[in-house]
Amino acid sequence: MSAAAPATRHDGPPSTPTVRPVTFPRVLRSEWIKFRTLRSTVWTTVITAVVMVGFALMMASLLRLATDTPEMAEGMAQDPGMQAAGMTGTFAITLGYSFAQLAVAVLAALVVTNEYSTGMVRSTFAAEPRRLPTLGAKLVVIVVTVVVVITVALAVAYLVTLPILDAAGMSVDLSDAEQVRALLGCVLYLATVAAFSLAVGTLMRHSAGAIFTLVAIFFVLPIIFSIVTAASDAVWAEWVNKLLPSVAGERIISTGPTPDTLLEPWTGYAVLAGYTVALLVAAAVTLRRRDA
Amino acid sequence: MIEARGLTKRYKDKLAVDDVSFVVRPGVVTGFLGPNGAGKSTTMRMIVGLDRPTAGTVTVNGQSYARHRAPLAEVGALLEAKAVHPGRSARQHLQALAATHGIATSRVDEVIDLTGLTAVAGKRVGGFSLGMGQRLGIAVALLGDPRTLILDEPVNGLDPEGVLWVRNLAKHLAGQGRTVFLSSHLMSEVALTADHVIVIGKGRILADMPVTELVDGASRRTVRVRSPQQGDLADALRREGGEVTAADDGALEVTGLDAAQVGETAAAGGVVLHELTPLASTLEEAYMALTADSVEYHAGDLADVVGSAGGPAGRSAGPDAGTQAEAGTR
Repeated sequence: MSAAAPATRHDGPPSTPTVRPVTFPRVLRSEWIKFRTLRSTVWTTVITAVVMVGFALMMASLLRLATDTPEMAEGMAQDPGMQAAGMTGTFAITLGYSFAQLAVAVLAALVVTNEYSTGMVRSTFAAEPRRLPTLGAKLVVIVVTVVVVITVALAVAYLVTLPILDAAGMSVDLSDAEQVRALLGCVLYLATVAAFSLAVGTLMRHSAGAIFTLVAIFFVLPIIFSIVTAASDAVWAEWVNKLLPSVAGERIISTGPTPDTLLEPWTGYAVLAGYTVALLVAAAVTLRRRDA
Repeated sequence: MIEARGLTKRYKDKLAVDDVSFVVRPGVVTGFLGPNGAGKSTTMRMIVGLDRPTAGTVTVNGQSYARHRAPLAEVGALLEAKAVHPGRSARQHLQALAATHGIATSRVDEVIDLTGLTAVAGKRVGGFSLGMGQRLGIAVALLGDPRTLILDEPVNGLDPEGVLWVRNLAKHLAGQGRTVFLSSHLMSEVALTADHVIVIGKGRILADMPVTELVDGASRRTVRVRSPQQGDLADALRREGGEVTAADDGALEVTGLDAAQVGETAAAGGVVLHELTPLASTLEEAYMALTADSVEYHAGDLADVVGSAGGPAGRSAGPDAGTQAEAGTR
């Protein structure tokens, strides 16, 4: 490493680099550079898409198998969970969301928490001391990325499962409003999960804590409450269950009739969106107040 | 230009910075000197808006940092080596920060070149040594060609060549009329680099003066004098207002009079002198004397170290060393 060379550079004419005011598009560009230059974010994004397509293929194959096996078709038709989701081709190609949501949640939380764990946040806020544009830019980057990746994943899933679902007599019907709503809902749901998780990451600031919380919210609690509601008739348990962020939000992906124990698709999504907005507001307020 | 007024920062029950006011002027290198834990980093973090002051205000070039439209053009800050994600390369890190201010890639390459990082610019920062991380931090600080530079312990982890480079860079930038505010817990470093010094201890400003004045004034000057007529000389010096103590080896140590006055007093009294030595105090001694009460993390035997290594001049700081010992036993 040479220090002599820089010393001689000082004698040259002073360079005057162009430095422009900070604007939201510039902060957005900065956040996009940060997002795409980390291997972990790139890999998590790729894995999310692969999981979506993989589950679509698996479910389509199962449905195809079920058409040849009457007992299996019977069993599926009587499963209450499957009834609520709706037994359509759309159900098959969106199925991966329940696993993709964990990858999306972790990815979105890490966009903020990795800055705190590495100290990067101090460089970030020294360059953009107002802070809220940074939060906004991170939100745009993660939400747009999720929308694009999930849309592409669903398109790929649609194409690769097309012959299988056709053979099973369950092709995705893009003229059916409910199925279109479910497909778009899958994109919307995961994008909202990303925004929700970004807010949780901003509030908690620690990677491990944020990931633990999100896994609990989107994975552990729904399992616990599905058991509790199945085992007892307690009204409070039913209400807690139907108002859980994932249980409420994922109603938008279903194509079946709404059971009494769950919310209508758009109502459910509105509940998740409400939580998300509240968390984002809290994140914005604390981000401005706390020391970086 | 940095102006702090009544700046205070309290963390839960600890007062890190206590009602601090100072001005850092352009065109000179201002050293920010203090023991570890004195509040230097906290003060610098408040300047760039990373920490919110509990009370008081601080402005940079006339405005609070966050109100500037292009903050990186106002202040370049090296606050901590490796405020960087280890998974990105040095160039990617700089490009991400440059993007916020629409700074061209050519400038990114320029600061990489300037800080001697060209060979490693494409490597992930996680593998960087402390010195390389420090150079990257300085590259970030220079990115926006700022009017004010804040460098928190810039020479930490640098090799001797790097230390020299930082010193020259700081002086060069100040020479261009920029404000350079550089912290260190090493008084020798500040003596070599800075023109002006602000000394902080336990969150309070202990001194704010030109470096030369700190060396000259903060610690009393001592003159060492030896004479066969020890007693007569001592009496004569006391009459002139000097304070005289006998040293271990039979010489006298005089404070309150300079060497010329001691010589003239001796001549007037017809006293023969065998030795007349002005003992210049170093910045280090001045600093020790200033911060003796305010050192946050005392080594148990600090007073001993000062007493033996300081030699005759060290003894002139006797009362201070005593205070240190007391503080150390607390």
